[in-house]
Amino acid sequence: MNTSFNWKITGAAGEGIKKAGLIFAKTCFKHGLSVHGYTEYPSLIRGGHNTFQIHASSADVVAPRFQLDVLIDIHGQAKDIHKAEITQQTVILADNLPLSDLVKQAGGSSKMKNMVTLGASCFLLGLSLDKLNQTLAEVFAKKGDEIIQANHKVTQAGYDFAQKNFKAKPPIKANGENKNKIFLTGNQALSYGAIAGGLKLYVAYPMTPATSILHTLAAKAKQANITVRHAEDEIGTANMAIGASFAGVRSMVATSGGGFSLMTEALGLAGITETPLVIVNVMRPGPASGMPTWSSQGDLLYVIHASQDEFPRIVLTPGDPQECFQLAKLAQNLAEKYQLPIIILSDKYLGESYFTIDKPASKHQNQRYGFAKTEDRQNDQPFPRYQDTDTGISLRSIPGQLGGIHLCNSYEHNQLGYATEDSAERIQQVNKRAKKIPQILKDPDFIKPVLYGPKTASQTLISWGSNKGVILQALPQLKSTNFIHFPSVWPFPAQAFQTLIQDSKKLITLECNSTAQLNQLIRQQTGLEIKNKLLKYDGRPFFPEEIVNQLS
Amino acid sequence: MKQTTTINPTWCPGCGNFGILGSIKQSLNKLGLKPHQFVFVYDVGCSGNMADFVYSYGFHGLHGRALPVAAGIKLANHQLPVMAVIGDGGCYGEGLNHFITLARGNHDIVVLSHNNYLYSLTTGQMSPTSKKGTKTPSTPEGSLEETFNPLANAIINHATFVARGFAGNIPHLTNLLNQALNHKGFALLDVLQPCVTYNKDLTYDWYRKNIYDINQQGHDPKDKKKALELAYQTDKLPIGVFFQEQKPTYHQQVSNFSDTPLAQQDISNIDLSSLL
Repeated sequence: MNTSFNWKITGAAGEGIKKAGLIFAKTCFKHGLSVHGYTEYPSLIRGGHNTFQIHASSADVVAPRFQLDVLIDIHGQAKDIHKAEITQQTVILADNLPLSDLVKQAGGSSKMKNMVTLGASCFLLGLSLDKLNQTLAEVFAKKGDEIIQANHKVTQAGYDFAQKNFKAKPPIKANGENKNKIFLTGNQALSYGAIAGGLKLYVAYPMTPATSILHTLAAKAKQANITVRHAEDEIGTANMAIGASFAGVRSMVATSGGGFSLMTEALGLAGITETPLVIVNVMRPGPASGMPTWSSQGDLLYVIHASQDEFPRIVLTPGDPQECFQLAKLAQNLAEKYQLPIIILSDKYLGESYFTIDKPASKHQNQRYGFAKTEDRQNDQPFPRYQDTDTGISLRSIPGQLGGIHLCNSYEHNQLGYATEDSAERIQQVNKRAKKIPQILKDPDFIKPVLYGPKTASQTLISWGSNKGVILQALPQLKSTNFIHFPSVWPFPAQAFQTLIQDSKKLITLECNSTAQLNQLIRQQTGLEIKNKLLKYDGRPFFPEEIVNQLS
Repeated sequence: MKQTTTINPTWCPGCGNFGILGSIKQSLNKLGLKPHQFVFVYDVGCSGNMADFVYSYGFHGLHGRALPVAAGIKLANHQLPVMAVIGDGGCYGEGLNHFITLARGNHDIVVLSHNNYLYSLTTGQMSPTSKKGTKTPSTPEGSLEETFNPLANAIINHATFVARGFAGNIPHLTNLLNQALNHKGFALLDVLQPCVTYNKDLTYDWYRKNIYDINQQGHDPKDKKKALELAYQTDKLPIGVFFQEQKPTYHQQVSNFSDTPLAQQDISNIDLSSLL
């Protein structure tokens, strides 16, 4: 019996590669397997080379695998492109599987070639054809019985042909059923987490790879009782979210680096007006248009410093869909608690890859923070919206509230919100805002770095964001190695980090950018220089095998 | 009722903004709106400096970005009347995409555009509404762009209330403002505003000689074609309500619209069972 397999389907855009991959991934999930799905595709609608690969296992999988058990080559280019992933054990389905003939014989349409390969894959990997057909029926439910039946005939043809002509691999040890698990992308998890955190208004402009957050929330808007608006541009998006937030609603926007650049002035607006704002940046390689459909961690230092001048902000860096959910919810609450902008940094790999995780709780509680009761105040006296306090957090009132009249001001302002250029008032407001930083670091709700693996080890990997799963997948194969994951990087949790590395011997940072940005940040914030760096910046995530090879 | 703060206006003596502020005060009085029942969103410019002088809920935003903030406030709480106070530079230059898109969406906000044909707070450069050939510090040999037409653009982009007033005729302007505030949907009120410091051509006297009231002359605001024709007129400047129609507003059409505004909806318990 096999305990895991690695399967990949490839072809041109328009040949249904992602659709087929997703159907096969869901079929694997139905077997009770832990499934990870990773897709690569160029920024075009027809042509090019698309892939969807599935790492499935009877144990938990949290990362893609490099070497393939099955490779499906629909347009005859995969053998070259994926040469390095092919071993002697790899079964390649290409010319040896007569797709057109099989589809024709089964009475299907040419669009169903991809489904032949899925039927054949079921035979090769010892998976149930019934479960594949069941998945197909679910995915194509809206297309009607006729289409579903036609697809079933085609998958059967693929299965029968494989049975006659190929030798099956040892069957996978399936667990039967995935109870209380869910199969979803980081972007989907993030969307649900935001809803759990009381999101009421989501505004966005489409930008790969953040677009699926817009699609997810738009599709669920009615059910979740939220308003979703596809706005005119990223500038309008961020300003609208700020307006809604000023009026008392929890809002969020999401984009990638280019859109984030357009939102930068609004980021500062949220900063100086002390209006809660959650911005999600699902990173892709840049600068400018860069590589739209690929992955990167190149925006870390940028988002920490984006906008002119200084103001407090929080930067969260979820490592997996669980954290996408958890931190999207947390961001809604912390943005309101501290009245500041929060940036959630995800990336294409985390945002668009599929993971098998424990189903998040369905019931969620939210507290409201910082709203003043003002009915007893005189309505003709301005409310001191920017009152200086010990924590730097002042109470808010919202428009319509009797006794709470104030000006929310993008100009430097006094404690009442009116514009000022006075030296003492300027210093007071800068210091007031800055006082939030130590409060955040003291807050038990603010997520801190976590150590995985043995408490003491001869080497410690340090990373952030989406590398978490890949490193955790590699860790059991590394000798005496542990791992520190940063789910937040700003304000920099220096004390928590220094406690974790007290017993560490050799430190190694790992990240998907070319200048080791977390490494730089650690040095800036702690004075610690870490000489060992593993960097990757070709648009692909690290694969666990690469980490094992480089560290062994 | 307190309508202004204790801060004295910093506009130049004779500035059109005084007249516009007068109209705002009269209109809010007339409509019986108390200062906490109203939200102003101010753009950056001489007009936006009104933020410090008006006693009401206010948001003083970024240059060109008052409109999306105003529309965001309206989506969050549709029970609040929201007005953007903005200049020609912010509204038709830096923020033009917002103007067009929010008009097309019939977002229920009033856009009070202070149109003085210049960037005055930055010391008098040409603006989108400046006549081609206008000599300013940024265009010493004369501006090269043709003039932007705010009213025609509002009409063809489906704004549901389009009007023009004059800062030197407060009763007329107040009446237009009342109508704009009572209108449900995207309302543009473009105000001809003399800039006494930087625009020596377009004086109060010049305007008085060159404007006329279209409603007095019997223009029917339901007539969209005629409204567009009037918007193109430049030999004389028409003022009054050019166009008005009733259509569902943006917030009324969103899928989860309810009488309870988003801002008053309880988020203390969220149940995701049907989503996961």
